[in-house]
Amino acid sequence: MITAERKPLEELIEYIKPFKRILLLGCNECVTVCAAGGRKEVGLLASGLQMAMLKTGNNIEIRQHTLERQCDPEYVEELVPMIDSADAVMSMACGCGVQQIAMRFKDKPVFPAVNTTFMGASERQGVWAERCQGCGNCLLGITGGICPIARCAKQLMNGPCGGSTGGRCEISEDVDCAWQLIWDRLKALGLQDRYLDIVPAKDWRTGGGSGPRKIIREDLAE
Amino acid sequence: MSFQKRLAAKEFAVLAEMHTPKGINISRLVNDARRLKGRVDAVVVPDMDNGIMRMSALAGGVLLQQQGVETIMHMYCRDRNRMALQGDALAAHVLGIQNIVVADSTDMNESDHSDATPVNDLDEVQLIEALMGLQTGKDMSGFDLDGAPDYTIGCTLTPFTDDKGRDAALLTAEKRVKAGAGYIIVPPIYDVPGSASLLARVNELGVPVIATVFLLKSLAIAQYITNSDPGAGISSDMIRRIRKSPNRELEGIKIAGETILALKENTQGVLIQTLGWEHKLPEILDVAKI
Repeated sequence: MITAERKPLEELIEYIKPFKRILLLGCNECVTVCAAGGRKEVGLLASGLQMAMLKTGNNIEIRQHTLERQCDPEYVEELVPMIDSADAVMSMACGCGVQQIAMRFKDKPVFPAVNTTFMGASERQGVWAERCQGCGNCLLGITGGICPIARCAKQLMNGPCGGSTGGRCEISEDVDCAWQLIWDRLKALGLQDRYLDIVPAKDWRTGGGSGPRKIIREDLAE
Repeated sequence: MSFQKRLAAKEFAVLAEMHTPKGINISRLVNDARRLKGRVDAVVVPDMDNGIMRMSALAGGVLLQQQGVETIMHMYCRDRNRMALQGDALAAHVLGIQNIVVADSTDMNESDHSDATPVNDLDEVQLIEALMGLQTGKDMSGFDLDGAPDYTIGCTLTPFTDDKGRDAALLTAEKRVKAGAGYIIVPPIYDVPGSASLLARVNELGVPVIATVFLLKSLAIAQYITNSDPGAGISSDMIRRIRKSPNRELEGIKIAGETILALKENTQGVLIQTLGWEHKLPEILDVAKI
């Protein structure tokens, strides 16, 4: 999923200060799962903003709404009846959702309420960790299902650096050395020989090196 | 007179561009430098211009300085992060290169290493700020330097193909000047009267303006530029003039020389680009009466 964290309240207040009527939008997908911008978080933020603004003598009107998917134009259309009654929109979706709203409602200021952080997986309740950087040319098939691009601090592709100690990365004791994990896994699978295969310099064109990426499925595109 | 002093004195500056080799054979670079010594005020050394991997501008600049030719080194953000850029800038100073142009870079996608990952840790405005910061004795993290460098920092006007692009380029150039760029290099000018309004707008930025003069080496090149960028300013008369000439190479040289002469009116210098024909520079300068 795409993970996100809510921005500090002070930053959000700065955004909405000039406006009286705010449409605060949540998204029912990834940001709901990572508890950053779903229906519940929309409610909490609306109260927080209203209280903070009241303290400064400003009474603002906040309308709350959570879309099924903000990155999908079909759901964004739901906002048409309510957009005119808002001076500005604040979105708790990831950056994709925020941009979708900005693109659809060109004359309406749109502000992000969360910082989109990474594509990750849940490790345990309340903990998410980065697992994928969307490099567009997946290496997991040769690295035992553990990604050195997303999980090695140096994105090394041919083994660990000198900073791997006791299976931990030099950047933090809390971070596993991806290459230790890869080695352990290859060994468990009886694929140690694969470790000696030289992975050539990566073609980063698929990973955003050639600019913004797009997928066009001819069989689906209208 | 040094390039810096020439700018300060509002004297017309004549710059030439010389590329480093793709390899280690420096004989051509050194020979061209010897030929040009005393005829131009400084030589601009692009780094990996047009996205072609070649010897770094820092090495090329040092080689030219060793031949007694003042150098202006290109720096840009595609290939190096802030650590490498600052390190190279410090290295340039101690190796005798104090003139820097913060240039736009060709996208990695169009380079001869299109599979490489572009760095772009900083943009050009931020790089200018970083260089300005080094001059105050601080690096980008605020740590003290053991000896502060001193540069003459310039920027480029981003190439554009239409009015929208021109306006955006001028706004960006304004930011670059605000960040500290002390001169600005404008993309190739072919039609000097037709470029008067652009040059006037660039001059409004309040720093010396240096116009690029590109040697049209052949009719095919002139036609290619016209076809790919109709707004470049190569008129049909100019194409006809090259086509009808019994010596098209010489005609291109004459056009470049005449362009330089005409630009003396509304710029503070020219950068002559000959793309491998650096040996023709003396002839161009003869036509330009320089």
